[in-house]
Amino acid sequence: MYSLEVINLSKHYTETLLFKDISFEMHPGEVMAITGWNGSGKSTLLRIIAGLVRPSSGKVEMSIQGESIPKELRRRFVGMVAPAFSLYEELTALENLEFFCKVRGIAHNRESSLQMMERVGLAENAHKFCRNYSSGMKQRLKLAQALIHNPPLLLLDEPGCNLDSKGMKVVESIISKQRQWGMTVIASNEKREVDYGDRVINLSE
Amino acid sequence: MIAKVLLTIWMTVIIVAAFLYADAAVGFPGETSRILFFHVPQAWVATLSFLLSMIASCVYLARRNPKADNLALSAAELGFLFCLLATASGSIFAKAAWGSFWNWDPRETSIVILLMIYGAYFALRSAVADPEKRRVFAGVYAILAFVTVPFLVFVVPRITASLHPEDTMNPAKPGMDPKTLKVFLGSLVAYTGLFIWILRLRLRLLNLEGMQEPEFVVREKIDPEGEKP
Amino acid sequence: MFAVTTLIAVSFSIGSFRIAEADRPFLYAVLLWIILVFSALSGLSRSFVKEEEGGTMDVLKLSARPQSVFLGKLFFNLTLLGALELIIVPAFILMMNYDIQLPTFFTAMVVSGGIGLGGGTTIIAAMIAQASARGALFSVLSFPLLLPLMITAIKGCEKAAVGANSPGWPEVRIAVAYAIVMIVMSLLLFPLIWEE
Repeated sequence: MYSLEVINLSKHYTETLLFKDISFEMHPGEVMAITGWNGSGKSTLLRIIAGLVRPSSGKVEMSIQGESIPKELRRRFVGMVAPAFSLYEELTALENLEFFCKVRGIAHNRESSLQMMERVGLAENAHKFCRNYSSGMKQRLKLAQALIHNPPLLLLDEPGCNLDSKGMKVVESIISKQRQWGMTVIASNEKREVDYGDRVINLSE
Repeated sequence: MIAKVLLTIWMTVIIVAAFLYADAAVGFPGETSRILFFHVPQAWVATLSFLLSMIASCVYLARRNPKADNLALSAAELGFLFCLLATASGSIFAKAAWGSFWNWDPRETSIVILLMIYGAYFALRSAVADPEKRRVFAGVYAILAFVTVPFLVFVVPRITASLHPEDTMNPAKPGMDPKTLKVFLGSLVAYTGLFIWILRLRLRLLNLEGMQEPEFVVREKIDPEGEKP
Repeated sequence: MFAVTTLIAVSFSIGSFRIAEADRPFLYAVLLWIILVFSALSGLSRSFVKEEEGGTMDVLKLSARPQSVFLGKLFFNLTLLGALELIIVPAFILMMNYDIQLPTFFTAMVVSGGIGLGGGTTIIAAMIAQASARGALFSVLSFPLLLPLMITAIKGCEKAAVGANSPGWPEVRIAVAYAIVMIVMSLLLFPLIWEE
């Protein structure tokens, strides 16, 4: 159904080479782990796949049933979590989710949003303002934001960042659910998270 | 090579002719009308480069070929230079002919605005770190600036004429006698030639710089605990 | 705040002098628009800078269509400008004793000028949010683009004050045309700025 192809991806900034000639293919049910030293380019690689950053060379192709998805539309099929991401502090968690649903054009109502909050374990705190959220709660909300549109491709950059063991269980359940029908790419240095992957690419080699 | 020599000779001829061959125009104090041979072509080149820069920017945004952006940049640099020259020569003329260096008549205003646009363009380029983004942003700005030009052309003359009821300079279209016309056109050609020559040089330089394979700093494999991740 | 402070400063320093009646319409128009433009320049970049600094820009890029983002920001900027004008213009008129013969013309000029102001600067705000040296850069970039609009608006206000009624309000039309052109071009070019 879906597939992701990464072909000869390289990225360099002025004089620093991040990585060169990364290629791999993915199909539903697979989990890829990207690992490497701090600064090796894991986050950048994920951002390139998401379409946020242009590679210096090579390309990323995502397809549905053989039809390639143009870059502008890729964001509809991708959900991403990253440490650098933030959600709107002035809004409550629920309002944040509803905003992103609206902006993505996804049908939603109070119920469905609350369900999503439950899934990430934030149901009791749904009406709190994000600025009052702890970092772990924020991380869970980010996960929720990445899932609202049921993306075939999930990009998780350090998903366990700031999470306690309960939070990690949430991440696990998300990954296993995603395995049933979609693709996941995890970038991390934590052995536990890297172990979720069927395959591993080490950017420091 | 030959072109360069010819251009140099041609330019010299024009400069000499500007002073000795053509007659000073009637109605202008002293010899001041001779500025026509220098000032107008400079302004012409300045505007031409802006157009060129804008078109190159469009090409870049469509194709993302860095050479197109190099062309946009070179054209902008040269355009800026000629714009400065035009402003300076215009000021000198203004002082000699009307007694003050600056008057805000339509032509002067437009050239200053062009100068500001160029300045803003360079400021933008130097403020963006990522080269790819820099090119895109610069290109977008060039197009936006160009879009405001028709408004300027339309609006400025109506406004400044009525704000400052001074004689607006219009030596560009006096009845030119044949000698003056010849020298003027010759100067136009000379300046355009000069522009093209320097443009090509600058473009070549930028393209060569771009072609260099960046020497990548080999990053230290930091291994704090002697373990692989 | 900037606007109010400037307004008070201007009124204080000029109000005490007797400016010749004949010069007033023009001079006041100039001052009004200087206050409006510079206040706008100090405030309009906020909407994008806030996204960049808050870290929400990436999530937004991933969630929303570029055109929607632009229109949203534009709408916000226009609202901000509208509020600014609503406060400043009447205050200016009162404090400076600005005698306006043709109020509808004047209002139309202020409104259309405001829309042009927002239309021309929103995309610039988006650019500088992703660059360095933001505050100064915003003014430097916006000013050359805004000049035709400013000149037109000043002229229009002057005419309205003096009572020189031109059929069809040409200055307002020019301002509207400017606004339309800038907004359309920005809409087309914005995706290039927004997506990398």
